[in-house]
Amino acid sequence: MIPVAPSVVWKSNINGQQKESLIPSNAILLDVLRDKAGCLGVKRGCDMGTCGCCTVMIDGVPRLSCLTMAQDGAGKEIITVEGLSDGAHLAPIQQCFGEHGGSQCGFCTPGFLVASQALLNENSNPSEQEIACAIEGNLCRCTGYQQIIDSIKAAAEIHRGEKESTPPVSDAHPDPHPTGPDEPTMPPGHAR
Amino acid sequence: MAGGYKQQPGSRSSETRKDGKRVAGKQSFAPPGSGGSRPKMAERDLDFIPEMVGGKEHQPAGAHIHDRARTGTTVGKRIPLVDANAKVTGQAWYGDDVRLQNEIIGRIVRSPHHYAKVVSVDTSKAENLPGVLAVATGDDAPNKFGVLPVTKDEHAMAVEKVRHVGDLVACVAAIDEATAREAAALIEVEYEVLDSIHDMKKGLEDVDEPIHWRGKYHVGTTNVQKRVFQEFGDRSMVENPSAMYHGKWKFQGVNHGFTEPHAVVAHWDSNGRLQLYTPQQVPHYAHRALATVLEVPMHQINVIRTFVGGGFGGKSDPFPHEMCAAILARKAGRPVRINFDREEVFWVNRGRHPSHIEVQLYADEDARISGFDIDALIDGGGFASFGHVTSYYNGVLATAPYELGSFHYTGARVWTNKPASGAMRGHGAVNTRCAVEVGLDDMAEQLQVDPIDLRLANLLPPHSRTISGFRITSNGMRQALQKVREGSDWDNKFRKLPLGKGIGIGCGFFISGSGLPIHWDPNKFPHATVHMQIDMDGGVTVHTGAADIGQGSTTAVAQVVAEVLALPIEMIHVRSHESDTSPVDLGSYSSRVTFMNANAAIRAALEIKEKLLNAAWDVLGYHPDTLVLNDRRIYYKHDPAIGMSYLEALHKAQEDKGALISSGAYRSPPMGGVHKGAAAGLAPAYSFSAYVAEVDVDVETGLIKCTDVWAAHDCGKALNPLAVEGQIIGSCHMGLGQVLTEQMVYGRSGHLQNPNLLDYKIPSVHEMPNVTPIIIESCDPEGPFGAKEAGEGPLLPILPAVVNAVYDAIGIRVNDLPLTPDKIWAAITKKMKIERIEDATNLPVPRLDFSELQEKLAKRAAEHNIRDKKRQTTEDTSAYVNGVLFGFDPNIPLEEQVEGWAHADKPSAEQLAELGLAGKAWLKEEQRNMGGEN
Amino acid sequence: MLMPPFILHVPGSVEEACQIAGDLISEGKEFDWIAGGTDLIPNYKWHINPKSDVISLASIEGIDTISMNEVGCMARLHDIAESDEVHSLIAEAASKVASSLIRRNATLGGNLCLDTRCFWYNQAEEWRSSIDWCHKADCGTGSDCRVIPNQNTLCVATYQGDIAPNLMVLGGIAHIIGPHGAREIPMSEFYQLDGITRNVLEKGEFLLKITFSDDIKNWIGKYRKLRLRESWDFPEAGVAAAWVQGDKSTMRLATTALESIPRLHDEEVASCEGDIAKLANTIFANVKPVNNTSLPPRYRRNMIKVLVKRVCED
Repeated sequence: MIPVAPSVVWKSNINGQQKESLIPSNAILLDVLRDKAGCLGVKRGCDMGTCGCCTVMIDGVPRLSCLTMAQDGAGKEIITVEGLSDGAHLAPIQQCFGEHGGSQCGFCTPGFLVASQALLNENSNPSEQEIACAIEGNLCRCTGYQQIIDSIKAAAEIHRGEKESTPPVSDAHPDPHPTGPDEPTMPPGHAR
Repeated sequence: MAGGYKQQPGSRSSETRKDGKRVAGKQSFAPPGSGGSRPKMAERDLDFIPEMVGGKEHQPAGAHIHDRARTGTTVGKRIPLVDANAKVTGQAWYGDDVRLQNEIIGRIVRSPHHYAKVVSVDTSKAENLPGVLAVATGDDAPNKFGVLPVTKDEHAMAVEKVRHVGDLVACVAAIDEATAREAAALIEVEYEVLDSIHDMKKGLEDVDEPIHWRGKYHVGTTNVQKRVFQEFGDRSMVENPSAMYHGKWKFQGVNHGFTEPHAVVAHWDSNGRLQLYTPQQVPHYAHRALATVLEVPMHQINVIRTFVGGGFGGKSDPFPHEMCAAILARKAGRPVRINFDREEVFWVNRGRHPSHIEVQLYADEDARISGFDIDALIDGGGFASFGHVTSYYNGVLATAPYELGSFHYTGARVWTNKPASGAMRGHGAVNTRCAVEVGLDDMAEQLQVDPIDLRLANLLPPHSRTISGFRITSNGMRQALQKVREGSDWDNKFRKLPLGKGIGIGCGFFISGSGLPIHWDPNKFPHATVHMQIDMDGGVTVHTGAADIGQGSTTAVAQVVAEVLALPIEMIHVRSHESDTSPVDLGSYSSRVTFMNANAAIRAALEIKEKLLNAAWDVLGYHPDTLVLNDRRIYYKHDPAIGMSYLEALHKAQEDKGALISSGAYRSPPMGGVHKGAAAGLAPAYSFSAYVAEVDVDVETGLIKCTDVWAAHDCGKALNPLAVEGQIIGSCHMGLGQVLTEQMVYGRSGHLQNPNLLDYKIPSVHEMPNVTPIIIESCDPEGPFGAKEAGEGPLLPILPAVVNAVYDAIGIRVNDLPLTPDKIWAAITKKMKIERIEDATNLPVPRLDFSELQEKLAKRAAEHNIRDKKRQTTEDTSAYVNGVLFGFDPNIPLEEQVEGWAHADKPSAEQLAELGLAGKAWLKEEQRNMGGEN
Repeated sequence: MLMPPFILHVPGSVEEACQIAGDLISEGKEFDWIAGGTDLIPNYKWHINPKSDVISLASIEGIDTISMNEVGCMARLHDIAESDEVHSLIAEAASKVASSLIRRNATLGGNLCLDTRCFWYNQAEEWRSSIDWCHKADCGTGSDCRVIPNQNTLCVATYQGDIAPNLMVLGGIAHIIGPHGAREIPMSEFYQLDGITRNVLEKGEFLLKITFSDDIKNWIGKYRKLRLRESWDFPEAGVAAAWVQGDKSTMRLATTALESIPRLHDEEVASCEGDIAKLANTIFANVKPVNNTSLPPRYRRNMIKVLVKRVCED
């Protein structure tokens, strides 16, 4: 028989919802979030704390869930990428990552979003250096980080209230049957 | 809803009787599918409509065949990727996010030996472990597969031999990961260990037991997988050169380092069809290989591409673990999921080849480049993968952007007992490009000229042919060089910065789509096909096999369709995940998607557009040529009030036939020569790039920090500048990793020492320089709206730019990448010893006094500038082939003009005597010429 | 990756922790301590010397103090790095450890008790089986050391912690507690050869806190770390120096990441009498890095000269 760790009852508040599951004593938070809590937005990249794809907030602090014992997260408030948006409304940081090219393949994006949201919660006016320090634990192979920093800066402006959240470039629900101009642009009868 | 449908024809608004009641049969109804927001048409966005068709978008490179299809809707605009929201909310589903009912977990048993015969595999203990549902070994899948039809040398699991540590031997599936791991440990394999090869030079030697056996085509009994010899031009030109560079380069293997490890889910559905979920760049190859290995017809397999968490070439081969999952799932009758640990990713590898590259460059008295001699020995690891192509690319992709007097290339790829090398961003071109560009820098120094001017005075013009016969169409190389020179303040910095600070230049040249679809004849079957379908709701469903790997191919396809039909991009729904619904497509490699799929999509969209305009013609009475598409409406161009909505036109067009469908395809034009290997490197267009990098070198520790990069890339036309800039900056990051920190380290015992992301050193945010992306738009005549690739080419120039900048900073060239601080420190220490310098801060820095040649070059560059402009705008349409700079007539075959103009694909007897390292592969005979039976 | 099976004990107090440790010892069980987990968890995922029981210190209240005179073992490195209370040299060293995310988990105790590292050792189980294991994790085979072959008595894995040399030069006192009571030992004597022994902790003991004398306020210092990337990387070499402000003659200097233990170089400093070049050469001559980290030992050893110069000079 395969030796197994004894099970313990694990309770946490994940993205505002109380969760309770039976987990092995030796469980890692990342595995519990993905396999028990269904938070598949929390990604497993390197499984040893280098890529940062598994970053979640525990009581507001960004933590690598792959290096955190699940029991350390028990009884705490955990926020994953799924919990950043307010219902259907994207958080500024999510919207800015889209608009400024902060996400390409998107695999590292959940980790970056959580790490940068944690930064903006503490400091809505971060310098470039502070942004770099906040995301130095996240690895991105696509963007070269520059557009990620642009995204975070843009989100910070919204957090500071200096800028409205920009309306999307176009519209999610365009009418395929719009009207044309109200008045003919030529004298009546000219064309007809 | 104004202007809705009427129950019967009548006035525009609902009619009411005088008493206010409605008139039966004269009521307006909203057409099915209408409603929503923005009920008014927007103004035409003239800023994004080319000036040639009445807009304000400047076209310095002239008109384009697709100009009339422009509507100012999305092309050229900075728009987010269409799947950005899925990615920022965690809803994007990658390989490991596919969870099917009843899934079980697969685990692979891997070889602990570099090279061994598999004597026996005993699976009985594993099979008897409770919870184990399936066990498979090489016996379950005897058929070979491989990404290239010419080199199928892989099995799902070892048959007969294992070829590197980590090679697959068997696999198990069990109810959970713990059981699967336990079962994997219980599989007993008996090996007979063979002598392994780790040094690629040893691969050239005859051995008792070559890693693979190619029968009559096997080269001697060596481990040479592929050898290439190419010679073009007049070899006598390299005699008595004014400057010559000879460099022996060493490049370590690098890995793609994508953040998503491989993962696969296989499921045989209730009808016995295989549903295979995998993050693939090229689902079609996996599809073909699965059919071969599983002995199931392709139509009974549905390959479902999940979101791909980074590919960069590393997810483009059909993989053995995909076969394993399918085999296990078939045996167990339940869905099987396999996800990789990071070290397994390194064992699959397919990263850039470790290489020994020797280059000799020559310049004549006019500082013309009289010859490139390149010798590339590349280490293929245990399998062929894309290596056949890589063997060519290492040479042929160095034949431009410069005009050459002669070109000589010998290449060889050998098998060694390492994880297989394969295709990685900038496939085959990166390492040689670095050596060549550094060589040019060195020759510029010998000639005492500015290296940018040396390049500017030797460029091939637009619409020309390279020495090996590649057809260059648009060419923005010159503007790229000019822009980075300006942007970086080059003229005030080069050879003028203090010790430890340096600036350097590098250029790049890359294919925009491989001209040869590997599996079929391009004259019979198109490169890419796109299907479109529009039903009553007005939404446009686009089916394409373009695999979005984060580069934004889905967005590019959606954009061009939206552009042609003048619809908001939200109305375009790209379906590209399933092979069941997408047309056959070669997926995302060789930077082909934008060029080929977007072209096919434009054609499909134009077909729909025509149908819509004809319908509008019926209703409005104006000929389609006089009608304008703009923001969901079609109207008479002289009076926008005379028009109809898109939906009205659509429904008119759908009368009697229902949904509109169309299909568009892309075929490449005939290109290139007929010599052996002529297809390698052929592409319908080429991208060009030039970078200037600035570095800080700590002369005491040897640590290099790249501080700034000015990165100009000619992508033809930026369909989405935001995405193009993302590709440029991302390429810088990846190239910077290769030049400064990344390497796959094989230690004393031949084991890969750093198969994890802590020890495999991908640059962090702190190592990233400030990159200024500069987009050059040369408007390719055949590209979609003029576009070419932007995904791979931008990686090339960063390596030589950094190496050249390091020389500018400390006067030392190190030809051994990555430039880790220990190598730089060792080189500095050596130089200090030779020059008897005590303190590193007293190192001499290179300075430049121009020779007379400089003025001559500047003059020639200025003349060529005028020549190129005329050719680009087709003011000058005369023929231009490589050799004109040397005084030859482009209208007469060069062989007829020049005695000794060679065109060889095999070395002559004299040449055999003086071949370089890789060239030595030609000293052996193939088995068929040795009278061997095999 | 899957963790090996073990029972995680989560005591709520120091006493309870010692009690659990004592009980496990008497039951003859092997166990490890876990604090932040950034060192232990990757090793466990790779099945490197896993034990049947692990005792977590994470739920013990009051052992995460951060002040000028005392830093608790569970103080997170992020909090130390950001703190204005703690000595600036310790904050500087903490800020250079790994990445900002790892520092959120990592603790002072964990960093000081960091397992020694070696590229023959910090690998997945399958990988290590392919080299027939090594002396440090021999899986009962009695394997040879892979760095210095043909012997299986000495482990030369490298200690790559950043903070230890800084505590040494500041005269930190390690407070150790275990089932048999508490004891104190200067940080300079805390570490013990070889790469397997690592430190003076006896079975069942753990490092509770580090304290400093009141005098520490007057000391200033510098820490220089050699690494390829500004994030993630362990030091390839590290030099810390501290002195009473305004009086370089009081200088103390320690090195890390060169051998299996960090070392305080009081004798070398004393013998060189303020001659920095001489000191650099003396330390260069006295340290013997081996080839088991990312950069070659010859280079790391030579860099000591540069780092010593850089911490000593103004």
